[in-house]
Amino acid sequence: MIEVDQLTKYYGEYPAVRNVSFEVPKGRVVGFLGPNGAGKSTTMRILAGFLTATGGKARIAGFDVFKDPIEVRRRIGYMPESCPLYGEMRVEEYLRFRGGLKDLSWSTRRKRIEYVLSKCWLTDVRRQLIGTLSKGYRQRVGLADALLADPPVLILDEPTAGLDPTQIRETRKLIRELGNQHTMLLSTHILSEVEMTCDSVVIIDQGKVAEDGTLAAVRQKHKNQSLEEIFVRLTGQEGI
Amino acid sequence: MRPLLSLVRREFAAYFFSLIGFVAITVFLIFTGLLFAFYPLAGLTDSGPQGVEDPMQSLIGHELFWLVFAFILPLLTMRLLAEERATGTLEMLLTAPIRDWQVVAGKYLGAVLFYLVMWLPTLAYVPILVGLDFETGETKIDPAPVVTTAVGVVLVGGMFLAIGLFVSSLVRSQLVAALIALVFSLAFVVIDFLQPFLDPNAGVAKVVNYLSVPEHFRRDFTRGVIDTRHVVLYLSVTAFSLFLTVRSLEARRLRA
Repeated sequence: MIEVDQLTKYYGEYPAVRNVSFEVPKGRVVGFLGPNGAGKSTTMRILAGFLTATGGKARIAGFDVFKDPIEVRRRIGYMPESCPLYGEMRVEEYLRFRGGLKDLSWSTRRKRIEYVLSKCWLTDVRRQLIGTLSKGYRQRVGLADALLADPPVLILDEPTAGLDPTQIRETRKLIRELGNQHTMLLSTHILSEVEMTCDSVVIIDQGKVAEDGTLAAVRQKHKNQSLEEIFVRLTGQEGI
Repeated sequence: MRPLLSLVRREFAAYFFSLIGFVAITVFLIFTGLLFAFYPLAGLTDSGPQGVEDPMQSLIGHELFWLVFAFILPLLTMRLLAEERATGTLEMLLTAPIRDWQVVAGKYLGAVLFYLVMWLPTLAYVPILVGLDFETGETKIDPAPVVTTAVGVVLVGGMFLAIGLFVSSLVRSQLVAALIALVFSLAFVVIDFLQPFLDPNAGVAKVVNYLSVPEHFRRDFTRGVIDTRHVVLYLSVTAFSLFLTVRSLEARRLRA
């Protein structure tokens, strides 16, 4: 469903992503891991069509990200890091606007908004201004927006960052549920989350893929160590 | 089409979410109201013999009007893209399934719509500007200048808004966007002040005349004339600015 081939992105002289290749098969939930600044967000932004790559190819649902950007964007729900929203709009109003941007007809828009509002526990705050919502609720609005057009692919950049433990657990449960219907690429720093929600992992470090495979295979390759141990060994300095 | 309409709706509504839309409308209406009361109204209601009246000319042909106009329009455009860049919402917008030109068109049309709303209340002056006789329904003053001025005002507003939108796509700070847009729009107005110092036959004077917006209105639009040179200038600057805005959004994707 997501095919990334030799993707490279330079910010000026600095290579943020170097020859990254991986694949996400249909229906799979893949955890995208790596230390801060490893190139996770850059890769996801390229897949979502916000940035263009310096080199390489990426295909989503069979469409080339650079040649058919609109077709690709129709098929993904993207939630950027920190989830920027229009603070002066109400939750429902915002979702109606986003539904229009995503070319949903009036009747499907109304149905889908009801669905995502209840799915993301937003029904209580549907009339509230987004600017007055707490961080957790804002993240949910972002997630609701990603789900709005019922896209086959979800790309979520740190969906649980900044949430309290209860919210993290709720979000995790939601992600697990969504994993049954959607192909998903999600980045996170919480490794236990990956173990609970993902089928496989891609670990990148300094713009390069350091490890790629199903959870079981990756564990086996590293002699059944914990994911945290593997992560630190692949991306950190020795002896930490 | 639906994505574009959604965007136009939001952009238009956003003017009413923030104070800036109301501030712009208020300043504009107070100012045009004062100008109207001092010039055309006083002139037309004076007792004594009435001459050949060009009430539109004393209202919109006035340099003062254009100076204030040049300050108000940047207030309408500064927010459009600069705010989205500053808060990061541009990322949400540019990853939605709409093309860059649709984003630009949506924002532009939203601004133009608000601009038209800003002018709407001034229609109340029209009966006096055409010398309407309420009993017979006859106009004592030629109504053509009102129509041509309206055409000119829409076109020149479209130009200033397009320039402002382009500037807004270049920077993050709304204040900087407003100031740079102000410099551009003032240039089209202040150039008029050079006129008395130029030899009317020199080539420079022709260029100044070609660019000076107050001069266009003083000589042509407010007197019932639509000069295609002005129309071509406004439309081409508008088209060029919008084209540059689309390019500027595309360039965003190439960089960071």
